Amino acid sequence: MSMIRFDNLCKRYESGYEALRGVSFEMDAGEMAFLTGHSGAGKSTLLKLLMLIERPTSGNLLINGKNINRLPHSKVPFYRRQVGVVFQNHQLLFDRSVFENVALPLQVAGYSHGDIGRRVRAALDTVGLLDREKHNPIALSGGEQQRIGIARAVVHKPKILLADEPTGNLDPQLSAEIMALFKRFQDVGVTVLVASHDINLINRMDMRIMRLNQGQMEQDGVSYGGY
Amino acid sequence: MAATNSKARDGAQRGARGQVLSRLDKWRSYRHHHQTTLKSSTLKILREPLQSLLTILVIAIALTLPAALYLSVENIRQLSGGVDASAQISVFVKKGARDSALKSLTGKLEGLSGVASVTYISAQDALDEFEALSGFGSALQYLDENPLPDSFLVQPLLIGDAARLVTEIRELKLVDDVQLDLEWLQRLDALLDMGRKLVLSLGAALGLGVILVVGNTIRLAIQSRRDEITVVKMVGGTDAYVRRPFLYSGLLFGLFGALVAAILLTGLGLWLAGPVDKLALMYQSQFSITGLGFRGVVALLLIGGSVGLVGAWLAVGQHLRNIQPR
Repeated sequence: MSMIRFDNLCKRYESGYEALRGVSFEMDAGEMAFLTGHSGAGKSTLLKLLMLIERPTSGNLLINGKNINRLPHSKVPFYRRQVGVVFQNHQLLFDRSVFENVALPLQVAGYSHGDIGRRVRAALDTVGLLDREKHNPIALSGGEQQRIGIARAVVHKPKILLADEPTGNLDPQLSAEIMALFKRFQDVGVTVLVASHDINLINRMDMRIMRLNQGQMEQDGVSYGGY
Repeated sequence: MAATNSKARDGAQRGARGQVLSRLDKWRSYRHHHQTTLKSSTLKILREPLQSLLTILVIAIALTLPAALYLSVENIRQLSGGVDASAQISVFVKKGARDSALKSLTGKLEGLSGVASVTYISAQDALDEFEALSGFGSALQYLDENPLPDSFLVQPLLIGDAARLVTEIRELKLVDDVQLDLEWLQRLDALLDMGRKLVLSLGAALGLGVILVVGNTIRLAIQSRRDEITVVKMVGGTDAYVRRPFLYSGLLFGLFGALVAAILLTGLGLWLAGPVDKLALMYQSQFSITGLGFRGVVALLLIGGSVGLVGAWLAVGQHLRNIQPR
């Protein structure tokens, strides 16, 4: 069964702007894909629909076989606990330590104190920043901050990992490292969807690429060394 | 690379098994969040002492004003309660009434509703008392006959009934004149009634003020924690979770404000107690100021706390909705 299924999805904003026009695709559990296209093509809107920040105007959105179109507002937080999100600007909080930043999804979900410590350290270890747990994220480099953002996105073992331009501010070397990290989560069964317009990097990854153009799915397939 | 890879896999498997949280776990972490939120909210108030103090003082003053007025009204009412006992109606009887007629008049007076007691004062008793008290004793010797009439002292149960009793007594046979010297007391009663209503309206207006002050403080706090709220919502924080610290802040502001108000009122009471006792001594009265008392302090804290909570709740309800993850 597919983990993510877009079924003829449309999103029209109140201004009348149509961000998505009949988008359909499926992603299996443990699959990784890139979402690409020009800015304004609908990448962000598609991710926002997956995070339930926006609701579709028409069509069906199924997660793990369940239609979440009409998920009540009160259930949204519990849905979001199954999803990890990495932002371009990483959205870390600079009024607390790296540890506390990564612990946030666990605190929110009500994990015990000991559990939180264990899981946060495991996540920090995975992104290779275990020795930074007591630092303030503001003192870290851009690449490290993004890795902390990734640790926070995966600390609660989400089924789905979304990333919105995760390498936007990074040099090619760091970007490749970040992408390799995403690949590792795919390896352990997480469904990973990365929105990016870094064509060079994407083409080198030999992964499924979905290209949006003016709100429509223009291309959906695996690239083999570029096209 | 391979090592971290297997670590990630381990983590995922462990996570998949430990994903389901028991009810007890959730209750524990819920309680824990309440405790930590209370602690961090208190710390936040202490960390910005000037800003917090201003808010708390505004709340304290807004609570002190109606509470002080309330205490004044209550004290004056107690004072007038002492006067209640002397609110008597003097009933003068026509001259030459026979004993039997006087007796039936006594019965009629006692039968009126709202009468506490009836005391008969014969003309001779009245004259004796007048001689003894006025110092005109020797002058009275020259009078041919007693100029004073027989009279009754009627004690009403309530001051409010006095006016009605006067008109009813006036209707009775043999009654020559009725005097009620206590119209000022009724006016005082009306004034006190007005005072109580003033306390209510002033209290309501200032209570609304407190709600607005707390609401504004919380609104600013929400603005300054916008990023945090966005992230917490994004990682699955419920509305209740996001709301909690702000509700605690509002509650604490209200409680601290009420505490300061209680201190102010107690100080005011102590300050006034000396002069009032001196004044009471001059009037040979046992009166002394009644302060807030334990129950008053508790009531003040309850009112302050709930008003602060309501203010926070309204602000949070209005502003949190606008903060959605982008």
